[in-house]
Amino acid sequence: MDAFKLMKELRVNYEQEAHYLPKETGLRLIESTTEDDSRISAKCRDAKVEDLWSLTSFFGYSTQTFVLAVNLLDRFLAMIRIQPKHLSCLSVSCLHMAAKVTEEECNLAPPVELIRIGQCRFTASDLCRMEKIVAEKLNFKSKAVTALTFLDLYHQIALSHCTDRKEILSLEKLEAQLKACLCRISFSKAKPSVLALSLLRQEIHAVQSEDMLEIACHIQRHLKITDVELRLWSERVARCLSDYSSPECSKPNHRKLQWIVSRRTAQNLHSYRTVPELPTIPEHCWDESESEDSCEDVMSSGEESLSSSLGSDAEGPYFPLHLRRKHLHA
Amino acid sequence: MMGDRPSPPSRAMSSAATTSPSADKVDGFSRKSVRKAKQKRSQSSSQFRSQGKPIELTPLPLLKDVPAPEQPELFLKKLQQCCTVFDFMDTLSDLKMKEYKRSTLNELVDYVTVSRGYLTEQAYPDVVKMVSHNIFRTLPPSDSNEFDPEEDEPTLEASWPHLQLVYEFFIRFLESQEFQPSIAKKYIDQKFVLQLLELFDSEDPRERDYLKTVLHRIYGKFLGLRAFIRKQINNIFLRFVYETEHFNGVAELLEILGSIINGFALPLKAEHKQFLVKVLIPLHTVRSLSLFHAQLAYCIVQFLEKDPTLTEPVIRGLLKFWPKTCSQKEVMFLGELEEILDVIEPTQFVKIQEPLFKQISRCVSSPHFQVAERALYYWNNEYIMSLIEENSSVILPIMFASLYRISKEHWNPAIVALVYNVLKAFMEMNSTLFDELTATYKSDRQREKKKEKEREDLWKKLEDLELKRGLRSDGIIPT
Repeated sequence: MDAFKLMKELRVNYEQEAHYLPKETGLRLIESTTEDDSRISAKCRDAKVEDLWSLTSFFGYSTQTFVLAVNLLDRFLAMIRIQPKHLSCLSVSCLHMAAKVTEEECNLAPPVELIRIGQCRFTASDLCRMEKIVAEKLNFKSKAVTALTFLDLYHQIALSHCTDRKEILSLEKLEAQLKACLCRISFSKAKPSVLALSLLRQEIHAVQSEDMLEIACHIQRHLKITDVELRLWSERVARCLSDYSSPECSKPNHRKLQWIVSRRTAQNLHSYRTVPELPTIPEHCWDESESEDSCEDVMSSGEESLSSSLGSDAEGPYFPLHLRRKHLHA
Repeated sequence: MMGDRPSPPSRAMSSAATTSPSADKVDGFSRKSVRKAKQKRSQSSSQFRSQGKPIELTPLPLLKDVPAPEQPELFLKKLQQCCTVFDFMDTLSDLKMKEYKRSTLNELVDYVTVSRGYLTEQAYPDVVKMVSHNIFRTLPPSDSNEFDPEEDEPTLEASWPHLQLVYEFFIRFLESQEFQPSIAKKYIDQKFVLQLLELFDSEDPRERDYLKTVLHRIYGKFLGLRAFIRKQINNIFLRFVYETEHFNGVAELLEILGSIINGFALPLKAEHKQFLVKVLIPLHTVRSLSLFHAQLAYCIVQFLEKDPTLTEPVIRGLLKFWPKTCSQKEVMFLGELEEILDVIEPTQFVKIQEPLFKQISRCVSSPHFQVAERALYYWNNEYIMSLIEENSSVILPIMFASLYRISKEHWNPAIVALVYNVLKAFMEMNSTLFDELTATYKSDRQREKKKEKEREDLWKKLEDLELKRGLRSDGIIPT
């Protein structure tokens, strides 16, 4: 697409994005909830989204599927209060719905497999019912305008302006960073166009391209995004990404995974650590009454081993001096 | 599986195989025990017995019925009587005398356990003589090459009723408070030990168990014999590994060695380190490893707890001998490796992590589901996980490709589920690296697919050309 068409497309999406935003009040409610069993909190939403990312990655689904799934999830959560125990079913339903409209038929994982791998407690028919509910409440047909839509467009625009610098801005990297941000509920409050632009600017700073910066400013003006808003989200994005790429390992471990092994393997686990029956025989236990007499024996019987290929007791004094002296005086 | 198996009348007995294949096969090869016809094996013996003449022993009074000062001498007389060995092959001969000897031996066992002041210097040679007469014998031949220690029932020692009491007696003698090694060592010498070691080849596990205790006590009490015993055990193992692959007492000897290794003084002597590398590691290559693997693994781990710097040679040794065709053994190796990793020091881990995880990566992709499962289960071990986390930037690239591939291709759904756990763990550990590797993997796959398509297109073009050429020249399509 040429630059003009792209900009037009940009505008169109910009006008529509409000329809696909989750209700801000709903999101705030979730953020302010403390850990408890009756309401969804930010922490459990974030954990579930990470699980969704794991499943996306495992089944080879595209980032588009993931982003759409999170969008559906957040919109639903912001609208309707559900109990935490249903969150798992809801999130996987969103993923399945998103996959159905995005992925090719042959790459689609059957619901049963999704449930098995995700170690979920509900059934395929539960999943089906949940999908219907979500589709109805959100009036979802097949598309939504998300941050990825904008990211994609921005990337194309940037490319069309400087065709010889194809390699500088990696769409995959941007997508990965978007994914990292979406794992935190606060970023769902941002307008997709602004979030995407913040990510773009972040990356442009990283590669230090003046030309790209120009283009980014151009886009900002075209969409009339305010400096204040952009700065706010850019800071938050920067913080999130620095956490994401820090070498420190995070092990949130919010849910221990099940390790199911076959009976035979389970039987043989840790079969070696049995307590030995024979008591330890310490080396060099010099029993006074023995050592005097055992001196000669060791010399004669031990001589062979001293000079054998394996033995190396020949080096150094074999007997402690004080015992040797005793023997002489015996 | 004892008892007669009905064999089809038209076939020779030794080739009956009537059970279903699945239960009786190991790695695709049918078990020998099914191939052979089952009969209760009677013990054979190579001992020459004079026929006919019954053995007569004059019954002696009981020790408790005799005043204390006379007991030591009576004790010696009884020992002398017990030197007579009876023929248990012939189940009917000398029944009365056999019972007499048995009750005498029983009496001697009690006597040695409770008495005080019975051990005169004269007793020592007589005790050793009696024990030697009874236990030192040429072991009965097993069914030579037919006996498979893993699968067949062992042939039990026929003279066990007497033999057991002799061993029992000897052990209590050695453990007695009055026992003096300085006197005993004149009689319990290298020759005695050599003969004792040969007995470890007995098929009877009960006998080997007693021998284990006997040798353990001797090693503990006779400092002068220790180096000799170690050397002889070396010889036995080396012969076992490199020449015969036959010896029934490996597990018992390893158990004794375990208690010796446990008691090693630090720093470890060079002799012991040599033993580890030249004897214990090669022991892993033997076919019948399953019979003594638990004891062997224990010895290895004890060594590493004594001297962690031995970790690298040990693991490299295991990797060198890693089983290539026997999955049962592979599972054993994986178990042992996990035990080693449980005690490994982080600095040592870093030294061997690359070759180690390359092997684990291969195991994880194994089509044998037990091997894959066992390897994947490492990720459920907290300590190993912490080591992996610290070094995820090195380990993740090694594991990634096979994990990702088998998540798509493995036939076993349980394995696929476990792989998910592992991938998820990696994802949480090091997200950026994981994303990079995913991207690289995907683009590699794309490139491969593109190449495949190009190749196909090329062939198609050639086909079309061939057809066109055929049509142009004479209008007839070549067949």
